Amino acid sequence: MAIKVPKDREVPFGAITPAPVRQQELFITSNWRIVRPVIDHEKCTRCFTCYAACPDSCWSYNEKEDQMEWNWKFCKGCQICIHECPVDAISAAPELDFEDGVVRLEKPF
Amino acid sequence: MAQEKMLSGCAAAAQGAKYAEVEVICSFPIRPYTAIMMELARMVANGELDAEFIHGEGEHAQVSVVLGASASGARAYTGSSGVGVTYAFEVYSPAAGGRYPLQMAIADRTLDPPGDFGSEHTDAMSCRDQGWLMGWAATPQEVFDNTLINYRVGEDPRIMLPQFVCQDGYFLSHIPDKVILPEMSQVREFLPPYKAPHPLSPTCPVSHGPQIRPDQGAPMDAQRAATFLDVPKVIEEATADFNRIFGRNYDPYLEKYKMEDAEVAFFIQGAHANTCKSAINHLRTQGLKAGMVRPRWVRPWPTQQIAEALSRVKAVATVETSTSYGGAMRGGNLIHEVRASLYDLENRPPVTSFMAGLGGDVILLEDFSYMAKILTQMVKEKKVRQQVYWIGFEEE
Repeated sequence: MAIKVPKDREVPFGAITPAPVRQQELFITSNWRIVRPVIDHEKCTRCFTCYAACPDSCWSYNEKEDQMEWNWKFCKGCQICIHECPVDAISAAPELDFEDGVVRLEKPF
Repeated sequence: MAQEKMLSGCAAAAQGAKYAEVEVICSFPIRPYTAIMMELARMVANGELDAEFIHGEGEHAQVSVVLGASASGARAYTGSSGVGVTYAFEVYSPAAGGRYPLQMAIADRTLDPPGDFGSEHTDAMSCRDQGWLMGWAATPQEVFDNTLINYRVGEDPRIMLPQFVCQDGYFLSHIPDKVILPEMSQVREFLPPYKAPHPLSPTCPVSHGPQIRPDQGAPMDAQRAATFLDVPKVIEEATADFNRIFGRNYDPYLEKYKMEDAEVAFFIQGAHANTCKSAINHLRTQGLKAGMVRPRWVRPWPTQQIAEALSRVKAVATVETSTSYGGAMRGGNLIHEVRASLYDLENRPPVTSFMAGLGGDVILLEDFSYMAKILTQMVKEKKVRQQVYWIGFEEE
C-alpha cells in the first residue's frame, strides 16, 4: 500500500510556514465566498469601520490612492463590512458576476 | 553502570523520562499517573534532572505547554489519567497535525462518573483516532523501555508524531517490579538529541498552526496517512536497535505467549496479560492448548502481524478492558480491529469478546477459565454463539 500526494497538492510539513509575512500566500482561504463586497469610493468617508469590523483583516487603507482596499484572497464574503458601513458605501455583488470569481474557478487559485 | 531497581510503573516512567533527558515537563495532579510527576519533581529539585518543570493549570494547559515546548525544539513530557486525559482532548489533534513529537504518559483510570479510581482503558482508547502513536506496556520494565522507544520512533525525521505511552493504573502504575536502569551511554547511542525541523525561533521566524483551505485538508490528511505507513519500518529499526543495545528481546509489535501450538488464543492489552499467562499455564495442565497475543502498539495497529499470529488458532477471545457502548459488537473496542485484521484470511478463526476488568475490576484466574470454556465450545462448534460476553453478568 502506498499513498501518493501530487506535488501541486502538497501542504508544507505540519502546515508550518515562513514568518512574518504580510499575508500567507500558501493558505489563501476565500474559495467559499459566494458574494463579495464592492466599495463605492465616492460614498466612502474613510472612517475605517470596515477595517475594524472585518474578522479577517481584509480591508486596508491605501495611502497613495487615498482609498480603502479589499483583499480578495482572504475575504469569505461574510458581509459584516456591508452591514457595519455607516454610509452604505459597500454592497454585496454575487461572486458569479465576476469573470475571475472564485465560484467560477474549477480549481480556486 | 546498569543497575536493577524495584520500581512501580509510575517510577519507571519517570526514570524513562529522566534517561531520555527530557527538557520540559508539564504536570497537573490526578491519580494514578500523578506519581510520575512526583518522581520527576523530586529529580528536578535534587538536581538529578536538568529540566523546566511547569505546573499547568489543568490538563488542557499541560498538553498546550508541551506542544509549545516541542514546537520550540525541546524534548517535552507530560501525562495524565482518566478524565484528565479527556479534558486535554482539544490539544491532541493540533499536536499530531503540527507534528510535535512530545510524549504523554497515560496511567489508565476509569472515566467519571462516578469517581472510580480503577484502571479501565477507555480514557486512552477514546484518543486513539487523534493521530498519535499509542501502545500499552505490561510491566514497569516495558514502561521504561517504551518511554525511550516512543521518543525514538516519534522524533524520527520520517515520522515526527506525538506518543501516548500507556500503562494500566494501579495494576502497573503502583505495583513495583524489577527494572534494569541502563547506562547513560547506551541511552545516548539509542536516542539521539531531538532536532525540530522548523523550530519557533526569533532568528528564523516561522508560523505554526495557520488556517488552511478545505481543499488543502485532504492532501494534509493523505500526507499524515502516508507517514503512518512508514511508522512500522521505523518501529522495527528502533526495536532492533533497542534489543541490540540494551540486550532485550522484544518483538516489535506483539508479545506472543505459547502461540507455537496454541489452539485457542486470548488477545489482551496491558498488564492483565500477566494474569492471562498464569491462566494459560494452568489451562495447559488441564489439556487446553491456549496462547496469548498482546499488542505493544495500538496505533499503528499491527494488522498483518495479528493476522499471522492468529491465523492458525481455532478460536480467539479478545479481552476488552474498554467500552464502546452501542458499537458493532455491543461491547469493547479490540474485537472490531481484531476481526477486521482477520477478515481477509481464507480460514479465519471465530472471534468473540469478553468484557472484563471494567471500572478497574480485577480479571481473575477463574474468569480466564470461564473464557476458556466458551473458547472450547467455539472450537467444537466452529462458530461464534455470542459476539460479546459480559463476565459475571451473563445469564447461564
